[in-house]
Amino acid sequence: MGQIRILLADDHNILRDGMRLLLERQPGFVVVGEAADGRETLQLAQDQRPDVVVMDIAMPNMNGIEATRRIVEKHPNIGVVILSMHHDESYIIRSLKAGARAYLLKDAMKAELISAIEAVVDGRSFFSPKVSRILQEDYFQALGRKDADDSYDLLTDREREILQLIAEGKTNKEVANTLNLSLYTVDTHRTHILQKLNLHSVPELILYAVRKGIIS
Amino acid sequence: MAGFGGLLLIMAAAEAGALLFLNSLRHNDSTLQARFLARNRTLERIRSNIYLSGTFVRDSLLAPEQSGARAQVATLDALRRDSESALTSYAAALEPEEAAPFSNLRSQIESYWNVLNRTLAWSGEERGKYRDAFFYEELVPRRTSMLQIADRIEALNEEALRRGDVKLGDLFGRLQFGLLAMIAVTLLGGAALASLTIFHLLKLEGEVEQRLNENVYSKASLQELSARLVRAQEEERRALSRELHDEVGQAFSAVLMEAENLLDLAAVPEVRAHLESIRGVAAKGMSEIRDMALLLRPSMLDDFGLLPALEWQGREIGKRTGLRVQVASEMSAELPEEHKTCVYRVVQEALNNCAQHAQATAVQVCVRHDAGHILVTVQDDGSGFDPKRVRGLGLLGMEERVRHLGGAFQIDSLPGRGTLLRVTLPLAAIPEQPDVAPSQHEDSSERLWNGGLPYGADSHSAG
Repeated sequence: MGQIRILLADDHNILRDGMRLLLERQPGFVVVGEAADGRETLQLAQDQRPDVVVMDIAMPNMNGIEATRRIVEKHPNIGVVILSMHHDESYIIRSLKAGARAYLLKDAMKAELISAIEAVVDGRSFFSPKVSRILQEDYFQALGRKDADDSYDLLTDREREILQLIAEGKTNKEVANTLNLSLYTVDTHRTHILQKLNLHSVPELILYAVRKGIIS
Repeated sequence: MAGFGGLLLIMAAAEAGALLFLNSLRHNDSTLQARFLARNRTLERIRSNIYLSGTFVRDSLLAPEQSGARAQVATLDALRRDSESALTSYAAALEPEEAAPFSNLRSQIESYWNVLNRTLAWSGEERGKYRDAFFYEELVPRRTSMLQIADRIEALNEEALRRGDVKLGDLFGRLQFGLLAMIAVTLLGGAALASLTIFHLLKLEGEVEQRLNENVYSKASLQELSARLVRAQEEERRALSRELHDEVGQAFSAVLMEAENLLDLAAVPEVRAHLESIRGVAAKGMSEIRDMALLLRPSMLDDFGLLPALEWQGREIGKRTGLRVQVASEMSAELPEEHKTCVYRVVQEALNNCAQHAQATAVQVCVRHDAGHILVTVQDDGSGFDPKRVRGLGLLGMEERVRHLGGAFQIDSLPGRGTLLRVTLPLAAIPEQPDVAPSQHEDSSERLWNGGLPYGADSHSAG
C-alpha cells in the first residue's frame, strides 16, 4: 500500500500546522492540502483526491457535516474523519448519517487519530472510546426510559456475525468472501438484520453496533 | 369644596338676617298700631271728659239752687284730674308736629277748667243772670275750639300712623331688595363656583388621562425594553457561547496538538511528564469551556434546531439528576428564531424546576404546531404546587418571554398531583426554511456558520 494522502479541514491555522507536523512524522502519511472552510475543502477534495479528509465541524462557509455529505456523495472512496469539539450525540449521529466513518473528539490522543485514519482507509469505522461511551450511555438511558425489549436477542448467530462485519465497514462482497457465503445470502441476511433492528441504513447500523459495544 | 361651604354659609347667614329683619318689622308694626290706638284712646278720654264736664256744668247751672255744689265740684275735679293725667300721658310721646296744637289744647283746657270752676261759685241769681250768656258765648265756643284741636291732634296721630306704615313699607321694600340681591349673589356665586368646579374637574380629568396615557406608554416601553433586554441577552449568550467554543476551545485543542507534537520529539522522561501534564490541563480546560458554552446556549439550537436542543437538554438533566425526560415534537419545519429560543428557554426552565423543586421522576415535553399556534406542554409527575401562591422569578421570566411573542402561559398544578405547563404561541404559518437539497443548500451555507445546520424532517429519536 502506498502513501495515505490526507486533506486537513479546520479553520484554525495553528491547529492545522500542528496536525500536519504530527501526521507527516508518521511513516506513510502525507498531507496533500489544508482547507480553512467547507467550500475550500470541497474544492481541494475535488482537485487532490485524498484518501482521507480530517474534518472539523464548526467552519465558516459551509460546516463540516454538510461538506462531508457532499464529498461522500461525490467521491465515495474518500474517507472522512470528523475531529470536533462537539461531544453530543446529535453531532455524532448527524456526522455518521452524512457519511463520516470516524468521529474523534479534539482531545483525542495522537494514537487515536492515526488509528482512525488507518481504519477509514481500510473502509472500517472508528470512534474514540469517549464517543463510543457517549453513544452507549445515551442508548442505555433511552432503553431504561422506554423499557424497550432488546431486539439484539432476535438476531441469529449468523446475523450477529454479519452485523459486526458490516458495522466494521466491510462491503457485502467482503462479507461474503470472509464467511464463504454467496452474495445473495449476505444481502438477505442484511435485509433481515435491518428489519429486526428497525434500522434503515448502514450508518444507523454502525451507530447501533457502537451503542451495543459490538464495535468501537 | 371650601367654595361650596362658603356659599352655604352665605345663604344661611342671609336667611337668618332676613328672618330677624322680618321679625323686627312685625314687631315694629304692632308697636306702631298699639301706640296709635293708645293715643287715640287718650284723645277720646280727653274729648269725652270735655263733653261730660260741659254737660255737667250746664246741668248744674240749670238747677235752681246751689244745693249740690260741693258734690259737683268734686265730680268736676275728678274729670279735670282724669283729663290732666290723659294729657300728661299723651304728652309723654309727642310727635314733633303735634307740639304746637297740643300745647294750645292744653292751655285752652286749662282756662276752660278755670272758667268752669268760676261758674260753680256763682249764686242763684248770678246763674240766672249769666247762664245763657255763659253758655253761648263762653262754653260752647271754647268747647268747639277744644274739640277742633283734639280733632287736629287725632288727624296728626293718624298721619303718624300712616308715616309709620310708609316707613314699614320702605323697610319691606329694602328687605325685598336685600333678598333679591342675596338670591342674585347666591346664584352668581353658585354659578361661579360651579364653573370653577367644572374647570377644576376637567383639569383633573385631563391630568388623570394624561397620567393614564403616561402609564400605558411607560408600561409599553418597559415591556419593549424587557423584550429587547431578553433579545440582547440571548444574542450575547449566543456570541459568547460561539466565542468560547470556537476560539477558546480551539486554542486549547491547539495546545493539545502541540503537546502531542512535543511528546513525539521529547525523549527525556521529565519533559514527557510535564508535557503529559500540559495535555491533561488543556484537555480539562477544553471540556470545561465546551460545557460552559453549552450551558450558555446549546450550539444544537442554532446548528440543528429546537428538537435536538431539547433532546440534549433532556439528556443533560437526566445525566445530572436521574430525571427521565421524553421529548416529542410534531413540528414539520423549524420555527422562527425568536419562537425557537422562547420555547427552548421556557422548557429549559421548566425542566430545571422539575429537577430542583418538583421531586419528579419523569417529564414529558411535547411541541406541536396546530391551527396557527405552537403548543408546548411540559408534564411532570412531581409534587406539584399551588400556582396561585407560588410565583418564582423563573416562572415570571417564562411568562414574560411568552408574552413578548403574544402567547399564553398556563400552569395547572395541585400539591401532590404533578404539574402541567402549557404555552401557546401564535404563529400563523411556519416560514419555509431554505431547502435542504444540496443544489440549493450552497446559497444558505454562509448562514450555517452563524445560523444553523439544516435540520430536516428526518427527526431522529434518542432511542
